[in-house]
Amino acid sequence: MINAEAEQGTLASRAGEVFQRYRAGEAAAMGDLVALLTPILWHTVRAQRLDRESTEDVLQTTWLALVGHADSISDARAVLQWMLVAAKREAWRVLRNQSRQTPAEIEEDAMATPDSQLPENVTLRDAEQQLLWSHISVLPERCRELLRVIAFADRPDYAELARALRMPVGSIGPTRGRCLAKLRASLTADARWEPR
Amino acid sequence: MNISDIPRGESWESLANEPLDAYDADLIARIHQLYQELDPVPVELVDRLQFAISLDALEVELAELQLGSGELLAARAEPASAVKTLTFTSDSLTTTVNISSDGPDRVRIDGWIAPGGISLVELHQGSLVRQIPADEDGRFVFTDVEHALTRFLIRPQDTDALPVATPAVEI
Repeated sequence: MINAEAEQGTLASRAGEVFQRYRAGEAAAMGDLVALLTPILWHTVRAQRLDRESTEDVLQTTWLALVGHADSISDARAVLQWMLVAAKREAWRVLRNQSRQTPAEIEEDAMATPDSQLPENVTLRDAEQQLLWSHISVLPERCRELLRVIAFADRPDYAELARALRMPVGSIGPTRGRCLAKLRASLTADARWEPR
Repeated sequence: MNISDIPRGESWESLANEPLDAYDADLIARIHQLYQELDPVPVELVDRLQFAISLDALEVELAELQLGSGELLAARAEPASAVKTLTFTSDSLTTTVNISSDGPDRVRIDGWIAPGGISLVELHQGSLVRQIPADEDGRFVFTDVEHALTRFLIRPQDTDALPVATPAVEI
């Protein structure tokens, strides 16, 4: 896995290269960047508990903002972080308009309640996923957000992404960090969980 | 990495300061799969975003797929020789496209824009864009087109009319 990362680069470094191509005048590279980053951005915005339709709108707004600001981003290699921050900010703006709640209130509520952004009757493929979900869904919301987002990136990017999500320093990478440690401890304490 | 290294129920505080290992990599891969299953990215989202970007900074008029064209959309399921016709209408233009086979897994698109007039026609499939001119009768042809979700953008050249974008259709 480490070798593959070294050869192909991480998600953040690949995004930086594609964005650099776009800024050098290759218009079609923006389409490649969209394809590359849509999964991680989708999950970043959905983790803010926005519905699927609003999430599409947020992503469209965010991409158009990138096109509009392409020249003002000082370091092309930071494009993934820039998009993550921009998408999350736009998601919160939309949420504020939708709910008239302040983000602080939303966050406080969310710390105490189980995940409400997902359909109530989730049907998962197998018992293993169901079990994993039962352990993830009781984590603090910030932890769920962090783990969900980094799961769509590559290990060397984790610390940068955590910073972009405004997680405390040391949330993840190079050490395991609190969120993943909590999940791992809770799984290993569960006799039903079978590590591979 | 051996799971037996970790006593069951070990406190998370001590785990938090250790470096990420293979067990974590596997766990994160499973989290990835879980969310993919739980909350999949809409299949055509990337296409829609790419199209929105390609239309950015460009005011467009949106055309509609004319009622009655809908049942022709299942082009892939039809015999390769069949010709399908789709009609898109907007305030300023009507665009009709005939889709026919153009060799294995490829189609030919014969289009006609009414009223006629010089325009450029773009075919968008994801990030792929092909542009050709329509003749003064409004006719245009794309050959060797892949089956994919496709949108057309018609840019009139001899009037001030706005470009016209069609919805995405599976061809």
